[in-house]
Amino acid sequence: MDAKQLSDGLATRFPGKILGVDPLDGTLGRIRFDPAVATDLFRSLRDDYQFTHLTLVGATDWIDHREVFYVLWSDTDRLYLVLSANLPTDAPVIASSVPIWPSANAHEREAWDLVGVKFEGHPDLRRIFMPEGYAYHPLLRSFKIHEPEDLEVKVRSD
Amino acid sequence: MTHGLWNLRVRIEGEIIKDVEPEMGYLHRGIEKISEDRHYNEIITLMDRTCYVAGLAWEHLFIVAAEQALHVTPPERAEYIRVLSAELQRIASHLMWYSAFVQDLGLMTPFLYGMRDRDLILDLFQSYTGGRLTYEYMRVGGVRSDLPLGFTQRCRQVVDWLMDRFVEYDQLCLSSTIFHERCDGLGVLLEPEAVAYGVTGPMLRSAGSHRDLRKDRPYSVYDKLQFQVATASTADVTGRYLVRMEEMRQSVRIVRQCLDWLDDHPGPVMAEHLPRWLGAPYAPMGNESYLLKRNYPTGVGLSMMEEPHGEAGAYVVNDGGEHPYRVKFRSPVLINIWAAKRYLPGYRVADIPPIMGSVDVCVGECDR
Repeated sequence: MDAKQLSDGLATRFPGKILGVDPLDGTLGRIRFDPAVATDLFRSLRDDYQFTHLTLVGATDWIDHREVFYVLWSDTDRLYLVLSANLPTDAPVIASSVPIWPSANAHEREAWDLVGVKFEGHPDLRRIFMPEGYAYHPLLRSFKIHEPEDLEVKVRSD
Repeated sequence: MTHGLWNLRVRIEGEIIKDVEPEMGYLHRGIEKISEDRHYNEIITLMDRTCYVAGLAWEHLFIVAAEQALHVTPPERAEYIRVLSAELQRIASHLMWYSAFVQDLGLMTPFLYGMRDRDLILDLFQSYTGGRLTYEYMRVGGVRSDLPLGFTQRCRQVVDWLMDRFVEYDQLCLSSTIFHERCDGLGVLLEPEAVAYGVTGPMLRSAGSHRDLRKDRPYSVYDKLQFQVATASTADVTGRYLVRMEEMRQSVRIVRQCLDWLDDHPGPVMAEHLPRWLGAPYAPMGNESYLLKRNYPTGVGLSMMEEPHGEAGAYVVNDGGEHPYRVKFRSPVLINIWAAKRYLPGYRVADIPPIMGSVDVCVGECDR
């Protein structure tokens, strides 16, 4: 399988929703997709293209939008694939990939905690590193380091 | 359960574990955030702190992703030195795991043996990096300095000694009834579940999987080296012990091959013609125009490596500048701990120390 074959197959399946393929060394490529088809695309990649392993979910704050990226691994083809979707800054929401790959659970919690991307359908979307009640998402570019009021956080009652 | 830096909330009914909730974040230092403000070579300092028992493995991970994002190719000798360092680090990390794990089981003597033998490897690291815990050795484009005179000879002596010691470790543990009673059949995580939960490394291989990125997708010079993937079939705590012990022997094999190659192939250990903003100490003088208008490359780098704890990853976004725009790390330990929801329920409270000990928890890389 090569990148062209995969992107053509996906473009037939999801017309107009595959926005492009960039080359990325060491992987099959980086596929940019429309977040509206996220769940169907994930299921198709897992079932039709044997990307059975989800290695990584992360997010980047690009100031005018936020990018979510996924790294998948196919054990049959021994290949990595990177997916990427752009979300608007005022509503950074995308469907959760936990129903497809359970291993996304902790990664998505981390992306929510640090970059503030919401994953709809995640079974347990809580902060993972920062304390509950913390008011910021520290990996956002707007986050200011050294704010004394950061230190005052609510402590969970349980 | 508290293992120093993380909590495990356990819901029990009598002696039986019903549900667990790992709590992380006590060691979160914001390494990904700090990296956005640092030069590439300054981030190496953070990598040693990310996983403080496998510093060189994480330096290797980040450096490969950074080189990909910056379009720099290191010389082959540097690649061999990196692989040599990563494999020695794997042995040191596994010895650290062995020491902590047997102590969790209540065996004190092997703890002292393991720590003593790990010191031999730290001595080797000190002889060429200057550090015993935080090395700051690798650089974008190569490594900081070549190996010192007589290093390969000393290193061979150490790994020969270690090979004999591994036999004694096995005799100490595997012939002990206490060891088997505390480990056999505990924490079983079969391969399909391990894959679904994203578990990697020795935990996955103890379930019979042959997944090892050094074989599946050889990076650096691993495609030129002979070794076997260590596996076990029991998927329990004993299986993880056997896998790690065999991995150390295979690492010794790789180390010996690297030493042979390094003896025969002297050469540079740093790429030439690096720009000075990358911290190259001997960037060519004379052409100063780049100081006025610097020409920064852009790119994205993704490196995935078989780190001692499992499959680690670094994703570096370079948008053209002296600092990366975004650095994202995949920590294998975070996912392996999180999967405790799957492999702990059903066992007894007293089984938690051996099971969680067999995961090889390094909270530094989990929390970052």
